[in-house]
Amino acid sequence: MSHDHPHVNYLLIFIALCVCTTLSVLFDIVNIESKFVLAVLVLAVATAKALFVLTFFMHLKFEGRWKYLLLTPTTVLACGLPLAMLPDIGMHYYVVANPQQTAYALEHPDEAATEGIKTDNHAPAHH
Amino acid sequence: MSSHSTSTPLKMGIPIPNSKLGVWLFLGTEIMFFTAFIGAYTVLRFGSKGWPTDPNVTHLRVWAGGLNTFVLLASSYFVVVAHDAMTKKDFGKARKFLTWTFLAAVLFLGIKFYEYYGKITHDVLPSHIAETDEQAMNKVVREMSQTLDAELVSLMADEIPVDEKINYENLRGALTQELATANEERKTALSRFDTLYKLYFSLRDDVKAGSVNLHDVEHRLHDLKFAAIVTTTNGKVFSGAVQEPVKQKLNAAGKVIVKPDDPNFIKLKTKAKTLAIKKSEIKEETYLYKSLLAGIHDPHPILYGNLFASTYFLITGFHAIHVIVGMILFGIVLLQGSKLNAGWTNFIENSGLYWHFVDLVWIFLFPLLYII
Repeated sequence: MSHDHPHVNYLLIFIALCVCTTLSVLFDIVNIESKFVLAVLVLAVATAKALFVLTFFMHLKFEGRWKYLLLTPTTVLACGLPLAMLPDIGMHYYVVANPQQTAYALEHPDEAATEGIKTDNHAPAHH
Repeated sequence: MSSHSTSTPLKMGIPIPNSKLGVWLFLGTEIMFFTAFIGAYTVLRFGSKGWPTDPNVTHLRVWAGGLNTFVLLASSYFVVVAHDAMTKKDFGKARKFLTWTFLAAVLFLGIKFYEYYGKITHDVLPSHIAETDEQAMNKVVREMSQTLDAELVSLMADEIPVDEKINYENLRGALTQELATANEERKTALSRFDTLYKLYFSLRDDVKAGSVNLHDVEHRLHDLKFAAIVTTTNGKVFSGAVQEPVKQKLNAAGKVIVKPDDPNFIKLKTKAKTLAIKKSEIKEETYLYKSLLAGIHDPHPILYGNLFASTYFLITGFHAIHVIVGMILFGIVLLQGSKLNAGWTNFIENSGLYWHFVDLVWIFLFPLLYII
């Protein structure tokens, strides 16, 4: 099957990818205060790199509309499954009573008071 | 697959070869496969207050991850150039760039395994990591017990009954008995080992009773590892534990708050006091248990270390397996040698698609594991 698509300057895309990688490493070296800001910046760069690879290296720019049919369910599931688990495992709406949290609370007593971290391992958490 | 120019009234299917559609469907499932692991890592990390992030603890080096990212990006570039060459029927160029892709993959795995080796030597492995002080102390006791039992078995090899379970108490009894009658050299080895065993018992009992903290255990383990007999040039013999030289400490203003130890002396902690012995006066320095206890890891509890190690090795391990599969695909093409012809174009395109996916996964792995 011959592809009648305009010629892509692969070297230029590769250089753009390298620049993005350098940017990510720079974000790490610069030591940004907020973990959230760092995460947003670094994942934005990662998404940009991913889009470069997907559209140009994998030629998705020149493929038909079937690419949306294929990638939409995967993206939905890819985002949906972690989101489904987040409330139970990622966000603690219940009192956490495990050895790690007990040890953490003993070392950070100021945080333990505000969050629902049990410092007493003996009494089980009842709901 | 040849394309017919006869126009049919009903055009069915997508205008790409079946193999390419197949690869894309497979990549769709692979995306879900990896996002499952990445999603698990994200969710678990959100739910774990105190996740290890200090690079000295996790042994995650951003330079290694960054270098791997460059290597994989370069390999993606090489494979796309190789496919381009295939469409232009320049098979020599295609072979050359595919070889570069393969070599880049080898380099990636090399750096990865160097990283894994660092973690293995520090025992940063799932289910191996002590997470609290108590667990760290118990781990030291357990490792010592295993090491000493193995050494006991090798020392008392003659006393071990064949086809019977080894009874360590009996062996220790046999050792004490042999101490009385052994010759000079054997007696030294046995008595040194006997001393070590007694010191281990006292450590074990102290940890069990809860009368020591991690700091004490760390020091006692260090003193055991560096227990030495120092003979000076003027014939004096000292036995004790060689202490780490104190390093200079500066405060924020740059003023010296801790003076460094004189590098010409070693510090030897004996039962009575700590001696400073001039290095130039040392005739002989024999470490009693250094090689025996070398395998016992210094205690470093890492909170959520096991979850961290589990998710780290799961994600990077599966990624490495995918890299190996990609290498096999390219290997198949490279094995064709000069027989590579236009019929292989689709295979190379599909292998390239798979390889770009592997690169994509790493593009997301690198910031998630190394930077955030």
